[in-house]
Formats: sequence, C-alpha cells, structure tokens
Amino acid sequence: MFSLYQCLLWLYPSSHRREYGEEMTAVFSAACAETKKKGALTRSLFWFREIRGLVAGALEQHVRSLLGSHSWVLLPTRRFMMHSEFRFPKATAILMTIILAGIVLAIEKAQAISASLPHSNPPVGPIQPWHLTFLPPVLLMFAFTYAAGLIGWAILFALKRSGVHRLSEMQGPAGR
Amino acid sequence: MQPLPLTEPVMLIMMSLAGQPRHGYSILKDVEQMSAGRVLLSTGTLYGALRRLLNDGWIERFEEDESPRGRQAYRLTAGGRRNLQTEVNRMKHLTRLASLRVAGKET
Repeated sequence: MFSLYQCLLWLYPSSHRREYGEEMTAVFSAACAETKKKGALTRSLFWFREIRGLVAGALEQHVRSLLGSHSWVLLPTRRFMMHSEFRFPKATAILMTIILAGIVLAIEKAQAISASLPHSNPPVGPIQPWHLTFLPPVLLMFAFTYAAGLIGWAILFALKRSGVHRLSEMQGPAGR
Repeated sequence: MQPLPLTEPVMLIMMSLAGQPRHGYSILKDVEQMSAGRVLLSTGTLYGALRRLLNDGWIERFEEDESPRGRQAYRLTAGGRRNLQTEVNRMKHLTRLASLRVAGKET
C-alpha cells in the first residue's frame, strides 16, 4: 500500500512533488506505522482520508498552477466566495475516491490472478473481433473521460473569457 | 492570500506552530490532540495548507539542526503571528458577543 501512496503522489504537479514529495512520504510513513497498531476500521478510515486528501490536494495544486492568483474562482477554500453554480457536491469527492479504490483493487486482483495462472498457456486460435469483449467498455470509458475533460476545459475557458476572475480587482468609484 | 476568517484546519496548524517550530508529523499529531481527535489531517491536506501559508509568508521552512537527515520544520513568521493574533481577537469578540446574546444580556 506504501507504493500506492507513491503512485498517487504522481497526481501532483512536478514542482510540488519535487519540493514536498519526500517529506510527505516520510510523514505518511510515520502515520502509517502508528495506525498499524490500531484496528482494521481505523486503518481503513486512515487510508480513505489519505486517498481523498491526496486526490483533492493534487486537484487543488493543479488548479492553482493553472489559474495562479485567480484560483479562488474554482477552489472552495471559502465556500461563501463561490457562487452556488460553482459548488461541487461533497458526494463527488467520495464517489471519485470509491472509483479510484475500485480501479486500484481491480489492478491488484488482476495481478494476483495473473501470478497464480500457470505460465504454459494452451495455444490460442486467431483472435476474432467478437472475442474482444473488453473493448466496448474501454472505449466507453475513454469517451466518458474525454468528454469530462472537454467539459472541464470548456468551463475554465468560459470563465477566463467572461473575465469573472477580474471582478475581485475592480474598485468602486473614487470618493466612496 | 489566506482569506480571513481562517478555516479550522489552517487555524489549528497556525496554533500548533505558535507554540514552537514543528515538522510535518508533529503538526499532524498536535492538531489531532488540540481538537481532541475531531480534526484528523491527511498528508495531502496538511501540505496543501503549508504550501499556501508559505506562499503567503505566514510561515517559513527551515532545516532542523538536530535532525539526522536534515528534516524540514516550519515556524510562524512575524507577519503570520500578527495575522493569527488578529484572528484570535476576532474570535474572542465573536464568542463574547455570542455569550451575551445567548444569555439575553444584550439585544
């Protein structure tokens, strides 16, 4: 699981990783060693908190590096500063973490199955297109991810074009 | 710039560093202890907050002398301490007013 933490650190921008990566890993390692003495529930909550914190932290750092001083437009550091239409429901973060955990578990399971299988596989005939049952879901997932990225980019582009980030720089008429 | 009022995790991190300089894990444990286990910071949240505070000049980073591997530690700057004091005063005023209102002594 320690390697999973180091993999998740790659979600961060390289500048943040270079500056804090080693330190974060050391702190995580110390915190992880402490939770080993505790129950399974505490350990699960610790992992959930860490994965959620890393994903949210990486997202925050990317938005900050993208928008600079105007990152308050998208980052809910102070919720009252955001218009209601820009708020993300809390369930989004939980859902993303569950999906991520599912993917990681699926990869680990696949690796375990792969390791348990004998190496001398029976000869396989020519692969026909209808044998590729995994292809439609993969294509669907790719299309979904692409669409989500496109929508995200469109939102950022629209915000930048609308000049909403300049509202904070506006000053009232002189004499007020 | 850190917007005021501060969020609870940022406030607790500042309070933790107000007593003495600390390294990352020490901040994590101190925040947990101060909040009686209510606020449990993840490393992602902690280092996101530390980076913001460093960028705003509220805290500074330095290498611990006694540490065998040159561990990094954090301490409040003079400006950071001033900002924390401002926030504490604001909260004092708020709690005093709230206590009076709840007791019905002031309308």
